[in-house]
Amino acid sequence: MLQNKLLFNQSSVSLEIIGLPDYSNNDNKSQISIISQWKLMIIDKPLIEGNIDHLRSIMVAFYSYSNFLINNDTACYESQFIDIKAENFLTHKVLLKSSKPDVKPLNIKIGNSVLADIINCFDQFNSSSKVKKVNSVVLKNYPKKGLLKSIDKDKIFSNLLPPVLSLCTLLFVSSTFIYLYNVGEDKDEKVLINLN
Amino acid sequence: MLALETIDLNGAQSLFNLSNTLNLNKVLPNKVTIWKLRNNNPMRKSYINNNIKIEEFDCLTKLAVEMSKDLYPYIRVILQSRDDFDMNPEAWNDFKKRFLELIHERFNINSMRVKKLLDKNGNDEIIIKFLLTLALCSSAEGYQKLRTSLLDF
Repeated sequence: MLQNKLLFNQSSVSLEIIGLPDYSNNDNKSQISIISQWKLMIIDKPLIEGNIDHLRSIMVAFYSYSNFLINNDTACYESQFIDIKAENFLTHKVLLKSSKPDVKPLNIKIGNSVLADIINCFDQFNSSSKVKKVNSVVLKNYPKKGLLKSIDKDKIFSNLLPPVLSLCTLLFVSSTFIYLYNVGEDKDEKVLINLN
Repeated sequence: MLALETIDLNGAQSLFNLSNTLNLNKVLPNKVTIWKLRNNNPMRKSYINNNIKIEEFDCLTKLAVEMSKDLYPYIRVILQSRDDFDMNPEAWNDFKKRFLELIHERFNINSMRVKKLLDKNGNDEIIIKFLLTLALCSSAEGYQKLRTSLLDF
């Protein structure tokens, strides 16, 4: 049976998807619902290919990493198949780990333009009606940075507890002395009354 | 938006045309409204606190995403020029020069944040961050990505 091929291009990056339509689901001949192979080609870099699970994990990795970059978080993503780290603000280190035991991990360094192209290719693939969606990265609702992020409940508790405790003790001790009967003062008052 | 305006020389008009195309006329009826909303940026010389409404913020975010989609090839060229700075520095240098000129023209240069943007030794990283964010948000889910990022800023 002839397999279908789809190519998504963006400047220096191409993503090739090879697979078959799912006839049980009334797919068109040109549709790809069962992905058997994929290839990610980056100019001047080795070819990246694998099965559907690899594609899924690579897409999750790149989308998560790009979300970290956009949201000013520490740009680092690690998983079973792929690690992505920022070397500096210009270069990103991608470490691809093979599922085969004797194959050494592949280390690739990419620039910002290539990273943007890869994300753009994956976006084209995701939005294509001719191929079944592989991945949809749900955007997390990140907590607000600044004031809210800097508040550490444990730190507040440990900082506020000693002064609050000391204030409470001081109030307790001083209020006890206020209600104590002052015998000496009372005697002086009685003497004054008798003199009158 | 200033980064987008740096690339598109007729940026103000393009933003207005885009708002018409996206049917955002109710919130952004003219160029003056867009200009007023952009003045909510505290780094601007003409800063006015208008208490921007959420729908106005959303419209501006949509405009930025749509414009970065249109300008993606140019954004990419500038990013690549910085990646291969020794081989091809022209696009990066041109962009940076115009971007800094626009900052001088429109931003309050006494502000510490603006001074950081103008600092020749450390501003490359900040400018690349702006461009990369725009490049990564020029997709179908770009609006959601940029909105989350801006609300988090």
